[in-house]
Amino acid sequence: MAKFLSRRATLAIPLGAVLMPALPRLAQAAPVIRAPAPDFAAPDQDGTMRRLADFRGKVVVLEWTNHDCPFVRKHYGSNNMQALQKQAAERGLVWLSVISSPPGEQGHVDGAGARRLTTERGAAPAAVLLDPESRMARAYGATTTPHMYVIDGEGLLRYMGGIDSIASNRAEDVPKAEPLARNAMLAVADGRPVERAVTRNYGCAIKYAPGA
Amino acid sequence: MLRALPPLLALLSLALPALAPEVRALESTPTRSERARMTLASALDAVAPGQPFRLGLRQVLAPGWHTYWRNPGDAGTPPEIAFTLPEGASATGFEWPAPERIPFGPLVNYGYENAVLLPLTVTPPATLRPGDVFTIEAQASWLVCEKVCIPEEGVFRLDLPVEAAPRPDPALAADFRAAEAALPRPSPWNTALGFEGPQGALRLEGPDLSPALVKEAHFFPGEWGVLDHAAPQPVQLAEGGLRLGLPRGAAPLPAGPLEGVLVLTDAGGTRSAYSIAAAPGAVPPPLAGAGAGAGLGAGLPLWQALFWAALGGLILNLMPCVFPILAMKAMAVARLSGAARGAVRGHALSYTGGVVLSFLALAGVMMALRAAGGVAGWGFQFTAPAFVAGMGWLMLAVGLNLSGVFQLGGPVALGSGVAARGGHLGSFATGGLAVLVATPCTAPFMAAAIGAAMLMPPAATLAVFAAMGLGMAAPYALLALAPGLADRLPRPGAWMERLKELLAFPMYAAALWLLWVLAQQVGPEGLAAALAGGLAVGFAAWALGRAQLARGGRGRLAGRGGAALALLAALALLPALATAPAASAGTRASAAEPGAEPWSEARLAALRAEGRPVFVNMTAAWCITCKVNERVALHSEAVRDAFTRRGVAYLKGDWTDGGPAIAAVLRRFGREGVPLYLVYPPGGGEPALLPQILTEALVLEALPPG
Repeated sequence: MAKFLSRRATLAIPLGAVLMPALPRLAQAAPVIRAPAPDFAAPDQDGTMRRLADFRGKVVVLEWTNHDCPFVRKHYGSNNMQALQKQAAERGLVWLSVISSPPGEQGHVDGAGARRLTTERGAAPAAVLLDPESRMARAYGATTTPHMYVIDGEGLLRYMGGIDSIASNRAEDVPKAEPLARNAMLAVADGRPVERAVTRNYGCAIKYAPGA
Repeated sequence: MLRALPPLLALLSLALPALAPEVRALESTPTRSERARMTLASALDAVAPGQPFRLGLRQVLAPGWHTYWRNPGDAGTPPEIAFTLPEGASATGFEWPAPERIPFGPLVNYGYENAVLLPLTVTPPATLRPGDVFTIEAQASWLVCEKVCIPEEGVFRLDLPVEAAPRPDPALAADFRAAEAALPRPSPWNTALGFEGPQGALRLEGPDLSPALVKEAHFFPGEWGVLDHAAPQPVQLAEGGLRLGLPRGAAPLPAGPLEGVLVLTDAGGTRSAYSIAAAPGAVPPPLAGAGAGAGLGAGLPLWQALFWAALGGLILNLMPCVFPILAMKAMAVARLSGAARGAVRGHALSYTGGVVLSFLALAGVMMALRAAGGVAGWGFQFTAPAFVAGMGWLMLAVGLNLSGVFQLGGPVALGSGVAARGGHLGSFATGGLAVLVATPCTAPFMAAAIGAAMLMPPAATLAVFAAMGLGMAAPYALLALAPGLADRLPRPGAWMERLKELLAFPMYAAALWLLWVLAQQVGPEGLAAALAGGLAVGFAAWALGRAQLARGGRGRLAGRGGAALALLAALALLPALATAPAASAGTRASAAEPGAEPWSEARLAALRAEGRPVFVNMTAAWCITCKVNERVALHSEAVRDAFTRRGVAYLKGDWTDGGPAIAAVLRRFGREGVPLYLVYPPGGGEPALLPQILTEALVLEALPPG
């Protein structure tokens, strides 16, 4: 008892408060490099369901996009994104553009809208995946448009991060930047290790669907 | 055109002060959109050759829109600026005021809302001459986001007149001051930081860190992606320590130190920012197991906390605060002797219930106050003068009842009156009363248990308080559990009347003690109001007593009416008590600091009349910025020495209670809160206003030469 009373007891009177801000969290933490990439099942622009498992044996590139985001426009306006998509197709890579905006939010399109955008912009993805409930974005911890992921033929995640190294919305920065996503995609296609497997992704915040 | 006119403009602005804002040349033409208004602003009206000065990108944002910090968090980009300057001039990059967390869905961005000024330093060429114009041209771009993001850009131009000495711009002084105050300063605390897997922590140790001072804490990493931007950072606080959980992000750890800004929000709601840089190592341990200086109660396991709480509750029965209530309880017990077993048990249980529920209610209120951002410690209700006065009156009324001035229990004497009639409600009320009065006594006994309790989840916190209540009620609960005990109590008789009258005196003593407590809080006017209320309560008791004795309905009515009126009069005094000025605020603050005198307008005027220079420090117990300033600047050897050598009088004002006298001073100098530092020059003249963030050099420079 005496010991209990003597220990600086009075100082401790107003002691202590745990402050735990109750904040929304990503449903799942960001995926891990060299671990199996999260599986997904999403309809493409024609309504066909696409699953990651369908592409086993092929390198898959995921590009999160929102056609009205200034950072996305930077890469489509400068033809950088379309060039990368064509390069991927030539090398036999599967390029999937992912649209996670829910209805009513910037970037949301239906299948017809996605087809029109592809034509208008001269884009060349293997498919555009429609993710209006943001499930796929949650699974991958995607935060921005653009946000790039490269998955190897065994389904392991090999790259996640930025499209390139200069976080601006100016098209004139594209040639000056280090093409991080391109380097990663080609390294995985060549069977080389990816030099920088996690980089800073920059862009507009993904307009997540509420709930879930 | 403007460029050629500055001297003329200066003249004009002197002659026509009303027009001055219209023709000001120290803020550029704005770039406006529906979302943002951006200008390049100068802290100076006129610059001096070769003398660096502050410039800033001033942002005024529409509601809901934000711009970004240097690490924008999950999305976004920070503003950029590029200068075109004359030969020989130079400009630094932005310095970044502490950002806010801006949640967006599951994402969190770091940035600014409403308004912000990003300051930087420009050095004009030394070759300039008074009469020249120093032209600054800048191109800036920024991203402004709500749900959608809009990139914007602007070209800005400032033509600053050159004079022999720099001339500050009073119009923008507040904006620049706010920006400087929001810039991080070096952390004065011992820092450890480390990670293991997805988890990590930042741990700071040193004085000024305490649960009473820090309400919120957040660490903003300078580098993108090292931490999970959106993840909550659980805070652990103890006396002299703070530990913040830092969940890792996807980006690799930097090779060198991890750098960032820690933002603390103090109990008064003021934010302060500290730059932190530490090489990541092992995860610093939780504060609980820390060495000397860290919170002692923090690590107590639940069963121990419960045990100590119960024991502390039991010991409370021996504390002077509870004596008067025990007196009442003793009465009730005496009445019960000889009563049926079931009645004894019922009363004991009611009393126990009253005690436990009151403890729970107090704990609940305390937790709610803390959640709402208040600084509620145990015994918080005794910091409200109106509560203390009310309790004093209640004690007086109970005493008068015991003395026989009035008999029947009215609402005033709920405890004894209803108990006297044998109601269980009375026993319950007695229990509640005992807890209310006992809380100031609980502090030294239950500190560790309460400290631990406040760190636990709410359910466990409530369990600890319930245990405390059970401990306190234990002697009476025993009566219920062991009915044989009740049979051993003395038989009722005439001695009970004597005992009752005698027990009135502890009640009067309790009222006296409460008035003494009140006198510490409110000064003579407040004390007089409380005494007048006591008089009214006394009159009410007498009038009620007469009414009870009266035979006719009329006398009864008159007596009751008189009692009610007197009580209303007493209650009417309570608001006056709530606003009464604190008596000893000054002495409280300065007691801890040698060399400081309590601030008052009179003392300040007297010192100034003597022609002495005066340093005024307005502070508050809950202001962490104030405490850090005192430690790093005001308490330093050099500053103390300078105070002595230069004959500077040091006045310290304590605004802990938010009193009106100091509030008026703060308002006069355009401040909403503390800290406020003023330096009055010797021999009269306007005081110099020091920034809210002090350094030793800054204070030394501001002091008048000895």
